[in-house]
Amino acid sequence: MTAVDISERIERFVRTQFRVAPTDTRFSRTQPLFESGYVDSIGVVELLAFISEEFGVSVPDDVLMSEEFATIDGIAIVAYRLYQNGNAKDGASPP
Amino acid sequence: MSALRLVGALDPNFGWAGGGRLIDGMCDHAFSAAPDRMVGAYTCIGSSGGGARLTRDPLGLNKLFWAPGDGQAVLFAARPWRLVEAGCRFEDIWSVPAGVDIELDSECGTRRVRWLRPGGWLERRAPSEGSPQSIAERIRAALDGYCAALAEAHPDARIFVCLSGGLDSSGVAALARRHFPEATSVSFDLERGNQFPSADRRAAERLAADLGLPLLRVTVTDEALLAGLDTALSEGIDWRDFNVHAALVNVALARGIAAACDPKELDRVLVLTGDLANEYLSDYHAEQYGGVTYYALPRLPTWALQRVLIRGLETSHREVGPFRAHGLALVQVYAAAVDEYLTLPAPFLADPARKDRLSRMVFGDLIPDYVYARPKTRAQTGDPDAGRGVLGLCVDHGIDHNRLRQRFLELHRVSDPGALDRFIRAGRYRSSLPSFQDTHDGRRHL
Repeated sequence: MTAVDISERIERFVRTQFRVAPTDTRFSRTQPLFESGYVDSIGVVELLAFISEEFGVSVPDDVLMSEEFATIDGIAIVAYRLYQNGNAKDGASPP
Repeated sequence: MSALRLVGALDPNFGWAGGGRLIDGMCDHAFSAAPDRMVGAYTCIGSSGGGARLTRDPLGLNKLFWAPGDGQAVLFAARPWRLVEAGCRFEDIWSVPAGVDIELDSECGTRRVRWLRPGGWLERRAPSEGSPQSIAERIRAALDGYCAALAEAHPDARIFVCLSGGLDSSGVAALARRHFPEATSVSFDLERGNQFPSADRRAAERLAADLGLPLLRVTVTDEALLAGLDTALSEGIDWRDFNVHAALVNVALARGIAAACDPKELDRVLVLTGDLANEYLSDYHAEQYGGVTYYALPRLPTWALQRVLIRGLETSHREVGPFRAHGLALVQVYAAAVDEYLTLPAPFLADPARKDRLSRMVFGDLIPDYVYARPKTRAQTGDPDAGRGVLGLCVDHGIDHNRLRQRFLELHRVSDPGALDRFIRAGRYRSSLPSFQDTHDGRRHL
Protein backbone atom coordinates (compact mmCIF):
# COMPACT_ATOMS: atom_id res chain seq x y z
CA MET A 1 0.00 0.00 0.00
CA THR A 2 1.46 3.37 -0.99
CA ALA A 3 0.74 6.85 0.26
CA VAL A 4 -1.09 7.48 -3.03
CA ASP A 5 -3.34 4.47 -2.40
CA ILE A 6 -4.11 5.82 1.05
CA SER A 7 -4.79 9.27 -0.34
CA GLU A 8 -7.26 7.83 -2.86
CA ARG A 9 -9.13 5.92 -0.18
CA ILE A 10 -9.27 8.92 2.14
CA GLU A 11 -10.54 11.11 -0.67
CA ARG A 12 -13.27 8.59 -1.45
CA PHE A 13 -14.27 8.50 2.22
CA VAL A 14 -14.35 12.28 2.59
CA ARG A 15 -16.36 12.77 -0.60
CA THR A 16 -18.96 10.22 0.49
CA GLN A 17 -19.10 10.83 4.23
CA PHE A 18 -19.22 14.60 4.01
CA ARG A 19 -21.25 14.78 0.80
CA VAL A 20 -18.84 16.75 -1.32
CA ALA A 21 -20.63 17.69 -4.53
CA PRO A 22 -19.12 16.07 -7.65
CA THR A 23 -19.19 19.51 -9.27
CA ASP A 24 -17.21 21.14 -6.46
CA THR A 25 -14.05 22.31 -8.25
CA ARG A 26 -12.57 23.77 -5.09
CA PHE A 27 -12.23 20.38 -3.43
CA SER A 28 -8.91 18.61 -3.91
CA ARG A 29 -6.39 16.53 -2.04
CA THR A 30 -4.38 19.65 -1.25
CA GLN A 31 -7.29 21.69 0.06
CA PRO A 32 -7.20 22.23 3.87
CA LEU A 33 -10.19 20.16 4.98
CA PHE A 34 -10.92 21.77 8.34
CA GLU A 35 -10.27 25.41 7.49
CA SER A 36 -12.34 25.24 4.34
CA GLY A 37 -15.24 23.63 6.19
CA TYR A 38 -15.38 20.28 4.42
CA VAL A 39 -14.80 18.46 7.72
CA ASP A 40 -16.11 19.89 10.98
CA SER A 41 -15.22 18.97 14.56
CA ILE A 42 -17.57 15.98 14.52
CA GLY A 43 -16.25 14.96 11.14
CA VAL A 44 -12.66 14.83 12.38
CA VAL A 45 -13.70 12.11 14.79
CA GLU A 46 -15.33 10.17 11.97
CA LEU A 47 -12.23 10.60 9.83
CA LEU A 48 -9.99 9.30 12.63
CA ALA A 49 -12.28 6.31 13.10
CA PHE A 50 -12.07 5.61 9.36
CA ILE A 51 -8.26 5.82 9.40
CA SER A 52 -8.13 3.48 12.38
CA GLU A 53 -10.46 0.88 10.87
CA GLU A 54 -9.17 1.14 7.30
CA PHE A 55 -5.42 1.24 7.91
CA GLY A 56 -5.11 -0.13 11.43
CA VAL A 57 -3.34 2.93 12.80
CA SER A 58 -4.25 5.43 15.48
CA VAL A 59 -3.17 9.03 15.11
CA PRO A 60 -1.22 10.40 18.09
CA ASP A 61 -2.40 13.67 19.56
CA ASP A 62 0.70 15.62 18.54
CA VAL A 63 0.27 14.53 14.93
CA LEU A 64 -3.45 15.29 15.00
CA MET A 65 -2.65 18.93 15.70
CA SER A 66 0.21 19.18 13.21
CA GLU A 67 0.09 21.31 10.07
CA GLU A 68 0.57 18.14 8.06
CA PHE A 69 -2.76 16.73 9.25
CA ALA A 70 -4.78 19.24 7.28
CA THR A 71 -5.13 18.08 3.68
CA ILE A 72 -5.98 14.68 2.26
CA ASP A 73 -2.45 14.27 0.93
CA GLY A 74 -0.96 15.35 4.26
CA ILE A 75 -3.21 13.03 6.21
CA ALA A 76 -2.31 10.21 3.82
CA ILE A 77 1.39 10.78 4.41
CA VAL A 78 0.78 10.68 8.16
CA ALA A 79 -1.24 7.48 7.88
CA TYR A 80 1.33 5.92 5.57
CA ARG A 81 4.17 6.75 7.95
CA LEU A 82 2.24 5.29 10.90
CA TYR A 83 1.38 2.23 8.85
CA GLN A 84 5.01 1.69 7.84
CA ASN A 85 6.35 2.26 11.34
CA GLY A 86 3.73 0.15 13.04
CA ASN A 87 2.58 3.16 15.01
CA ALA A 88 5.97 3.72 16.71
CA LYS A 89 5.88 6.78 19.00
CA ASP A 90 8.57 9.29 20.04
CA GLY A 91 7.68 9.45 23.73
CA ALA A 92 5.27 12.33 23.36
CA SER A 93 2.40 9.89 23.66
CA PRO A 94 2.04 6.38 25.02
CA PRO A 95 4.01 3.65 23.24
CA MET B 1 16.88 21.79 34.00
CA SER B 2 14.04 24.22 33.65
CA ALA B 3 12.44 25.86 36.64
CA LEU B 4 8.97 24.44 37.15
CA ARG B 5 6.45 26.91 38.46
CA LEU B 6 2.85 26.19 39.38
CA VAL B 7 0.43 29.07 38.84
CA GLY B 8 -2.50 28.76 41.23
CA ALA B 9 -3.63 25.51 42.80
CA LEU B 10 -4.33 22.17 41.19
CA ASP B 11 -7.74 20.56 41.49
CA PRO B 12 -8.29 18.20 44.42
CA ASN B 13 -7.26 14.61 43.86
CA PHE B 14 -9.44 11.54 44.12
CA GLY B 15 -7.25 8.96 42.46
CA TRP B 16 -7.75 5.33 43.43
CA ALA B 17 -5.89 2.13 42.75
CA GLY B 18 -8.48 -0.20 44.25
CA GLY B 19 -8.18 -1.20 47.87
CA GLY B 20 -9.29 0.71 50.89
CA ARG B 21 -7.52 4.02 50.38
CA LEU B 22 -7.22 6.80 47.86
CA ILE B 23 -3.88 7.48 46.17
CA ASP B 24 -2.07 10.15 48.11
CA GLY B 25 1.12 12.16 47.73
CA MET B 26 2.56 10.61 44.57
CA CYS B 27 4.52 13.74 43.75
CA ASP B 28 5.81 14.07 47.29
CA HIS B 29 8.25 11.30 46.40
CA ALA B 30 9.90 11.94 43.07
CA PHE B 31 11.15 8.42 42.50
CA SER B 32 8.59 6.16 44.13
CA ALA B 33 6.77 3.50 42.12
CA ALA B 34 3.65 4.49 40.26
CA PRO B 35 0.49 2.56 41.16
CA ASP B 36 -0.32 -0.40 38.92
CA ARG B 37 -3.62 1.19 38.13
CA MET B 38 -5.16 4.60 38.62
CA VAL B 39 -8.77 5.62 38.24
CA GLY B 40 -10.34 8.85 39.35
CA ALA B 41 -9.16 12.42 39.03
CA TYR B 42 -5.51 13.05 39.84
CA THR B 43 -2.82 15.59 39.02
CA CYS B 44 0.28 16.44 40.95
CA ILE B 45 3.49 18.30 40.47
CA GLY B 46 6.13 18.43 43.14
CA SER B 47 9.78 18.15 44.00
CA SER B 48 11.75 16.32 46.66
CA GLY B 49 15.10 14.64 47.24
CA GLY B 50 16.83 15.88 44.09
CA GLY B 51 13.94 15.14 41.80
CA ALA B 52 10.62 16.39 40.54
CA ARG B 53 7.51 14.58 39.48
CA LEU B 54 4.52 15.38 37.35
CA THR B 55 1.51 13.09 37.01
CA ARG B 56 -1.90 13.22 35.36
CA ASP B 57 -4.63 10.55 35.57
CA PRO B 58 -5.24 8.36 32.51
CA LEU B 59 -8.70 9.72 31.73
CA GLY B 60 -7.46 13.28 32.12
CA LEU B 61 -10.26 14.12 34.54
CA ASN B 62 -8.02 16.63 36.32
CA LYS B 63 -6.50 19.17 33.98
CA LEU B 64 -2.92 20.33 33.72
CA PHE B 65 -1.61 22.80 31.19
CA TRP B 66 1.84 24.21 30.60
CA ALA B 67 3.50 27.02 28.68
CA PRO B 68 7.05 28.31 28.41
CA GLY B 69 7.79 31.13 30.84
CA ASP B 70 10.63 33.60 31.10
CA GLY B 71 14.11 32.19 30.59
CA GLN B 72 13.94 28.44 30.87
CA ALA B 73 10.97 28.39 33.21
CA VAL B 74 8.01 26.16 32.49
CA LEU B 75 4.73 27.33 33.96
CA PHE B 76 1.97 24.91 34.89
CA ALA B 77 -1.65 25.54 35.79
CA ALA B 78 -4.96 23.73 36.04
CA ARG B 79 -6.62 26.34 33.80
CA PRO B 80 -5.35 28.04 30.66
CA TRP B 81 -6.66 31.41 31.83
CA ARG B 82 -4.25 31.33 34.77
CA LEU B 83 -1.33 30.98 32.36
CA VAL B 84 -2.71 33.83 30.24
CA GLU B 85 -2.96 35.98 33.38
CA ALA B 86 0.66 35.04 34.14
CA GLY B 87 1.71 36.47 30.79
CA CYS B 88 1.65 33.41 28.52
CA ARG B 89 0.10 33.47 25.07
CA PHE B 90 -2.88 31.16 24.58
CA GLU B 91 -1.22 29.88 21.41
CA ASP B 92 1.74 28.68 23.51
CA ILE B 93 -0.37 26.68 25.97
CA TRP B 94 -0.37 22.89 25.81
CA SER B 95 -2.12 20.25 27.82
CA VAL B 96 0.02 17.72 29.66
CA PRO B 97 -1.00 14.39 28.11
CA ALA B 98 -3.42 12.28 30.13
CA GLY B 99 -1.90 9.27 31.85
CA VAL B 100 1.67 10.56 31.96
CA ASP B 101 3.95 10.15 34.97
CA ILE B 102 7.23 12.06 34.56
CA GLU B 103 10.21 11.93 36.88
CA LEU B 104 12.93 14.55 36.58
CA ASP B 105 16.35 13.98 38.15
CA SER B 106 18.02 17.31 38.86
CA GLU B 107 21.41 15.74 39.47
CA CYS B 108 21.63 13.90 36.17
CA GLY B 109 19.37 16.21 34.22
CA THR B 110 17.41 13.24 32.97
CA ARG B 111 13.75 12.67 32.71
CA ARG B 112 11.84 9.40 32.69
CA VAL B 113 8.42 9.24 31.13
CA ARG B 114 6.03 6.50 32.16
CA TRP B 115 2.50 5.97 31.00
CA LEU B 116 -0.08 4.87 33.51
CA ARG B 117 -1.98 3.10 30.72
CA PRO B 118 -0.76 1.47 27.48
CA GLY B 119 -1.12 3.47 24.31
CA GLY B 120 -4.40 3.16 22.48
CA TRP B 121 -6.17 1.70 25.51
CA LEU B 122 -9.27 3.64 24.66
CA GLU B 123 -9.13 3.08 20.92
CA ARG B 124 -8.96 -0.70 20.92
CA ARG B 125 -11.92 -2.98 21.44
CA ALA B 126 -11.35 -4.46 24.87
CA PRO B 127 -12.17 -8.15 25.13
CA SER B 128 -15.45 -8.67 26.85
CA GLU B 129 -14.93 -10.23 30.25
CA GLY B 130 -17.94 -12.22 31.30
CA SER B 131 -21.67 -11.64 31.04
CA PRO B 132 -23.28 -8.22 31.50
CA GLN B 133 -24.48 -9.45 34.89
CA SER B 134 -20.95 -10.28 36.05
CA ILE B 135 -19.67 -6.98 34.66
CA ALA B 136 -22.46 -5.19 36.53
CA GLU B 137 -21.38 -6.87 39.75
CA ARG B 138 -17.83 -5.66 39.20
CA ILE B 139 -19.11 -2.17 38.48
CA ARG B 140 -21.02 -2.19 41.72
CA ALA B 141 -18.00 -3.47 43.64
CA ALA B 142 -15.84 -0.71 42.16
CA LEU B 143 -18.36 1.99 43.04
CA ASP B 144 -18.79 0.70 46.59
CA GLY B 145 -15.04 0.32 47.04
CA TYR B 146 -14.42 3.84 45.80
CA CYS B 147 -17.09 5.35 48.04
CA ALA B 148 -15.61 3.49 51.00
CA ALA B 149 -12.15 4.83 50.19
CA LEU B 150 -13.58 8.36 49.87
CA ALA B 151 -15.29 8.01 53.25
CA GLU B 152 -12.05 6.76 54.80
CA ALA B 153 -10.03 9.65 53.37
CA HIS B 154 -12.63 12.30 54.22
CA PRO B 155 -14.29 11.30 57.48
CA ASP B 156 -15.34 14.87 58.24
CA ALA B 157 -16.56 15.76 54.76
CA ARG B 158 -19.87 17.48 54.25
CA ILE B 159 -21.36 15.56 51.34
CA PHE B 160 -23.71 16.85 48.67
CA VAL B 161 -25.06 14.67 45.86
CA CYS B 162 -26.32 16.23 42.64
CA LEU B 163 -29.64 14.56 41.92
CA SER B 164 -31.29 15.00 38.54
CA GLY B 165 -33.71 12.13 39.13
CA GLY B 166 -32.16 10.14 36.32
CA LEU B 167 -30.67 6.69 36.73
CA ASP B 168 -27.03 7.71 36.99
CA SER B 169 -27.41 10.30 39.72
CA SER B 170 -30.01 8.17 41.48
CA GLY B 171 -27.47 5.36 41.71
CA VAL B 172 -24.87 7.69 43.19
CA ALA B 173 -27.43 9.10 45.63
CA ALA B 174 -28.35 5.59 46.75
CA LEU B 175 -24.69 4.73 47.29
CA ALA B 176 -24.10 8.01 49.10
CA ARG B 177 -26.91 7.16 51.50
CA ARG B 178 -25.03 3.99 52.41
CA HIS B 179 -21.52 5.41 52.70
CA PHE B 180 -22.23 8.97 53.85
CA PRO B 181 -25.29 8.91 56.12
CA GLU B 182 -25.37 12.72 56.49
CA ALA B 183 -25.37 13.46 52.75
CA THR B 184 -27.65 16.11 51.28
CA SER B 185 -29.06 15.80 47.78
CA VAL B 186 -29.22 18.81 45.45
CA SER B 187 -31.64 19.47 42.62
CA PHE B 188 -31.42 22.09 39.86
CA ASP B 189 -34.30 23.79 38.14
CA LEU B 190 -35.01 27.00 36.29
CA GLU B 191 -37.41 29.47 37.84
CA ARG B 192 -40.65 28.93 36.00
CA GLY B 193 -43.02 31.28 37.80
CA ASN B 194 -46.36 29.64 38.24
CA GLN B 195 -45.61 26.80 35.89
CA PHE B 196 -44.82 23.26 36.86
CA PRO B 197 -41.36 22.49 38.11
CA SER B 198 -39.41 20.30 35.74
CA ALA B 199 -39.82 16.54 35.62
CA ASP B 200 -36.28 16.28 36.98
CA ARG B 201 -37.18 18.41 40.00
CA ARG B 202 -40.31 16.42 40.74
CA ALA B 203 -38.38 13.14 40.40
CA ALA B 204 -35.58 14.39 42.63
CA GLU B 205 -38.05 15.43 45.32
CA ARG B 206 -39.70 12.05 45.35
CA LEU B 207 -36.45 10.10 45.29
CA ALA B 208 -34.78 12.20 47.98
CA ALA B 209 -37.75 11.56 50.24
CA ASP B 210 -37.67 7.81 49.51
CA LEU B 211 -33.93 7.63 50.16
CA GLY B 212 -34.23 9.70 53.32
CA LEU B 213 -31.92 12.41 52.00
CA PRO B 214 -32.51 16.10 52.68
CA LEU B 215 -32.96 17.99 49.41
CA LEU B 216 -31.43 21.36 48.64
CA ARG B 217 -33.40 22.97 45.84
CA VAL B 218 -31.31 25.25 43.64
CA THR B 219 -33.76 27.21 41.49
CA VAL B 220 -32.42 30.05 39.37
CA THR B 221 -33.82 32.68 37.05
CA ASP B 222 -32.75 32.83 33.44
CA GLU B 223 -30.64 35.88 34.20
CA ALA B 224 -28.92 34.26 37.15
CA LEU B 225 -28.09 31.22 35.05
CA LEU B 226 -26.64 33.27 32.20
CA ALA B 227 -24.61 35.37 34.64
CA GLY B 228 -22.44 32.26 35.08
CA LEU B 229 -21.37 32.21 31.43
CA ASP B 230 -17.82 33.51 31.85
CA THR B 231 -17.21 31.05 34.68
CA ALA B 232 -18.65 28.22 32.59
CA LEU B 233 -16.31 29.09 29.72
CA SER B 234 -13.10 29.76 31.65
CA GLU B 235 -13.44 27.12 34.35
CA GLY B 236 -15.05 24.63 31.99
CA ILE B 237 -12.16 25.22 29.55
CA ASP B 238 -14.49 24.77 26.60
CA TRP B 239 -16.75 26.71 24.25
CA ARG B 240 -18.67 23.79 22.68
CA ASP B 241 -22.34 24.29 23.34
CA PHE B 242 -23.27 21.03 25.07
CA ASN B 243 -20.42 21.40 27.55
CA VAL B 244 -21.09 25.07 28.18
CA HIS B 245 -24.78 24.38 28.80
CA ALA B 246 -23.88 21.64 31.28
CA ALA B 247 -21.32 23.93 32.90
CA LEU B 248 -23.96 26.66 33.34
CA VAL B 249 -26.09 24.24 35.33
CA ASN B 250 -23.05 23.30 37.40
CA VAL B 251 -22.17 26.93 38.08
CA ALA B 252 -25.70 27.42 39.41
CA LEU B 253 -25.51 24.27 41.52
CA ALA B 254 -22.12 25.26 42.89
CA ARG B 255 -23.39 28.72 43.83
CA GLY B 256 -26.39 27.19 45.54
CA ILE B 257 -24.34 24.68 47.52
CA ALA B 258 -21.74 27.26 48.54
CA ALA B 259 -24.50 29.59 49.70
CA ALA B 260 -25.95 26.80 51.85
CA CYS B 261 -22.64 26.24 53.63
CA ASP B 262 -20.72 28.14 56.24
CA PRO B 263 -17.72 29.66 54.38
CA LYS B 264 -15.41 28.03 56.93
CA GLU B 265 -16.61 24.56 55.96
CA LEU B 266 -16.27 24.89 52.17
CA ASP B 267 -12.90 23.16 52.12
CA ARG B 268 -14.39 19.99 53.55
CA VAL B 269 -17.34 19.86 51.17
CA LEU B 270 -17.40 17.02 48.64
CA VAL B 271 -19.96 17.08 45.83
CA LEU B 272 -20.75 13.72 44.26
CA THR B 273 -22.21 13.46 40.76
CA GLY B 274 -23.45 10.83 38.34
CA ASP B 275 -21.25 12.24 35.60
CA LEU B 276 -19.36 9.98 33.16
CA ALA B 277 -21.97 7.20 33.00
CA ASN B 278 -23.49 8.70 29.85
CA GLU B 279 -20.12 8.53 28.13
CA TYR B 280 -19.60 4.96 29.31
CA LEU B 281 -22.87 3.90 27.69
CA SER B 282 -22.89 6.34 24.74
CA ASP B 283 -26.14 7.69 26.15
CA TYR B 284 -26.20 10.96 24.25
CA HIS B 285 -28.41 12.12 21.42
CA ALA B 286 -28.70 15.10 19.16
CA GLU B 287 -31.46 17.49 20.15
CA GLN B 288 -33.74 19.73 18.17
CA TYR B 289 -34.69 23.25 19.11
CA GLY B 290 -36.36 25.74 16.84
CA GLY B 291 -35.88 23.42 13.90
CA VAL B 292 -32.10 23.30 14.39
CA THR B 293 -30.10 20.24 15.43
CA TYR B 294 -27.79 20.63 18.40
CA TYR B 295 -25.40 18.25 20.15
CA ALA B 296 -24.68 16.26 17.00
CA LEU B 297 -22.58 13.15 17.53
CA PRO B 298 -20.15 11.32 15.25
CA ARG B 299 -21.84 8.67 13.14
CA LEU B 300 -20.15 5.61 14.60
CA PRO B 301 -21.19 2.22 15.98
CA THR B 302 -22.13 2.49 19.64
CA TRP B 303 -19.00 0.72 20.90
CA ALA B 304 -16.77 3.08 18.87
CA LEU B 305 -18.79 6.10 20.01
CA GLN B 306 -18.28 4.93 23.60
CA ARG B 307 -14.52 5.03 23.09
CA VAL B 308 -14.67 8.47 21.50
CA LEU B 309 -16.82 9.88 24.29
CA ILE B 310 -14.64 8.40 27.03
CA ARG B 311 -11.54 9.67 25.21
CA GLY B 312 -13.20 13.08 25.11
CA LEU B 313 -13.45 13.21 28.91
CA GLU B 314 -9.88 14.46 28.80
CA THR B 315 -11.25 17.62 27.27
CA SER B 316 -13.66 20.01 28.98
CA HIS B 317 -13.95 20.60 32.67
CA ARG B 318 -17.68 21.28 32.70
CA GLU B 319 -18.19 19.65 36.10
CA VAL B 320 -15.05 19.99 38.19
CA GLY B 321 -14.20 23.49 36.97
CA PRO B 322 -17.43 25.32 37.88
CA PHE B 323 -17.55 23.71 41.31
CA ARG B 324 -13.89 24.48 41.99
CA ALA B 325 -14.52 28.10 41.09
CA HIS B 326 -16.78 28.22 44.14
CA GLY B 327 -14.31 26.48 46.43
CA LEU B 328 -15.98 23.09 46.17
CA ALA B 329 -14.39 19.72 45.44
CA LEU B 330 -16.28 17.48 43.05
CA VAL B 331 -16.03 13.69 42.81
CA GLN B 332 -17.17 11.85 39.69
CA VAL B 333 -17.98 8.53 41.34
CA TYR B 334 -18.32 6.55 38.10
CA ALA B 335 -14.64 7.24 37.39
CA ALA B 336 -13.89 4.25 39.60
CA ALA B 337 -15.55 1.81 37.21
CA VAL B 338 -14.23 2.88 33.79
CA ASP B 339 -12.39 -0.38 33.18
CA GLU B 340 -15.46 -2.43 33.97
CA TYR B 341 -17.63 -0.39 31.63
CA LEU B 342 -15.07 -0.80 28.86
CA THR B 343 -15.55 -4.57 28.95
CA LEU B 344 -19.25 -4.35 28.08
CA PRO B 345 -19.72 -6.29 24.84
CA ALA B 346 -20.61 -4.43 21.66
CA PRO B 347 -24.03 -6.13 21.28
CA PHE B 348 -24.97 -4.95 24.77
CA LEU B 349 -23.87 -1.41 23.95
CA ALA B 350 -26.04 -1.51 20.84
CA ASP B 351 -29.17 -2.31 22.88
CA PRO B 352 -31.39 0.80 23.20
CA ALA B 353 -32.35 -0.40 26.70
CA ARG B 354 -28.75 -0.78 27.86
CA LYS B 355 -28.88 1.98 30.48
CA ASP B 356 -31.98 0.59 32.10
CA ARG B 357 -30.74 -3.02 31.94
CA LEU B 358 -27.32 -2.24 33.36
CA SER B 359 -28.62 0.06 36.09
CA ARG B 360 -30.98 -2.66 37.28
CA MET B 361 -28.11 -5.12 37.40
CA VAL B 362 -25.81 -2.68 39.21
CA PHE B 363 -28.20 -1.05 41.65
CA GLY B 364 -31.23 -3.36 41.79
CA ASP B 365 -33.67 -2.31 44.48
CA LEU B 366 -31.51 0.57 45.68
CA ILE B 367 -33.25 2.59 42.96
CA PRO B 368 -37.07 2.57 43.03
CA ASP B 369 -38.96 1.30 40.00
CA TYR B 370 -40.40 4.71 39.10
CA VAL B 371 -36.89 5.99 38.38
CA TYR B 372 -36.32 3.17 35.91
CA ALA B 373 -39.65 3.93 34.29
CA ARG B 374 -38.94 7.65 33.74
CA PRO B 375 -38.27 8.85 30.23
CA LYS B 376 -34.85 10.43 29.98
CA THR B 377 -34.70 14.20 30.33
CA ARG B 378 -31.88 16.69 30.60
CA ALA B 379 -31.61 20.10 32.20
CA GLN B 380 -30.20 21.28 28.88
CA THR B 381 -33.32 20.35 26.94
CA GLY B 382 -36.15 20.70 29.48
CA ASP B 383 -39.31 18.66 29.24
CA PRO B 384 -42.79 18.99 27.70
CA ASP B 385 -44.47 20.08 30.97
CA ALA B 386 -41.96 22.60 32.25
CA GLY B 387 -40.78 23.99 28.96
CA ARG B 388 -37.38 24.82 27.51
CA GLY B 389 -34.15 23.97 29.21
CA VAL B 390 -30.75 25.60 29.18
CA LEU B 391 -30.28 25.00 25.43
CA GLY B 392 -33.45 26.86 24.55
CA LEU B 393 -32.69 29.59 27.03
CA CYS B 394 -29.26 30.21 25.53
CA VAL B 395 -30.52 30.10 21.95
CA ASP B 396 -33.37 32.48 22.74
CA HIS B 397 -30.87 34.91 24.26
CA GLY B 398 -28.63 34.76 21.19
CA ILE B 399 -25.93 32.80 22.97
CA ASP B 400 -25.12 30.48 20.11
CA HIS B 401 -22.06 28.57 19.04
CA ASN B 402 -20.39 31.65 17.52
CA ARG B 403 -21.03 33.77 20.59
CA LEU B 404 -19.56 31.10 22.85
CA ARG B 405 -16.44 30.86 20.71
CA GLN B 406 -16.07 34.62 20.60
CA ARG B 407 -16.42 35.01 24.37
CA PHE B 408 -13.90 32.22 25.00
CA LEU B 409 -11.44 34.00 22.71
CA GLU B 410 -11.97 37.26 24.61
CA LEU B 411 -11.51 35.64 28.00
CA HIS B 412 -8.21 34.15 26.87
CA ARG B 413 -7.04 37.26 24.98
CA VAL B 414 -6.89 35.50 21.62
CA SER B 415 -7.46 37.35 18.37
CA ASP B 416 -7.19 34.48 15.88
CA PRO B 417 -10.38 32.35 15.85
CA GLY B 418 -8.39 29.55 14.24
CA ALA B 419 -6.51 29.16 17.51
CA LEU B 420 -9.50 27.35 18.98
CA ASP B 421 -9.45 24.67 16.30
CA ARG B 422 -5.79 24.14 17.06
CA PHE B 423 -6.52 23.89 20.79
CA ILE B 424 -9.27 21.27 20.69
CA ARG B 425 -9.48 18.88 17.75
CA ALA B 426 -11.43 15.64 17.59
CA GLY B 427 -12.36 16.11 21.23
CA ARG B 428 -8.75 16.37 22.40
CA TYR B 429 -6.73 19.25 23.76
CA ARG B 430 -3.50 20.06 21.98
CA SER B 431 -1.05 18.12 24.14
CA SER B 432 2.68 17.76 24.43
CA LEU B 433 5.38 17.22 27.03
CA PRO B 434 7.59 20.14 28.01
CA SER B 435 11.23 19.62 27.10
CA PHE B 436 12.84 20.78 30.38
CA GLN B 437 15.95 22.36 28.88
CA ASP B 438 19.14 23.16 30.78
CA THR B 439 19.30 26.74 31.92
CA HIS B 440 21.68 29.12 30.19
CA ASP B 441 24.01 29.26 33.21
CA GLY B 442 24.23 25.46 33.40
CA ARG B 443 22.50 25.35 36.75
CA ARG B 444 19.65 23.02 37.21
CA HIS B 445 16.56 24.09 39.01
CA LEU B 446 13.48 22.35 40.18
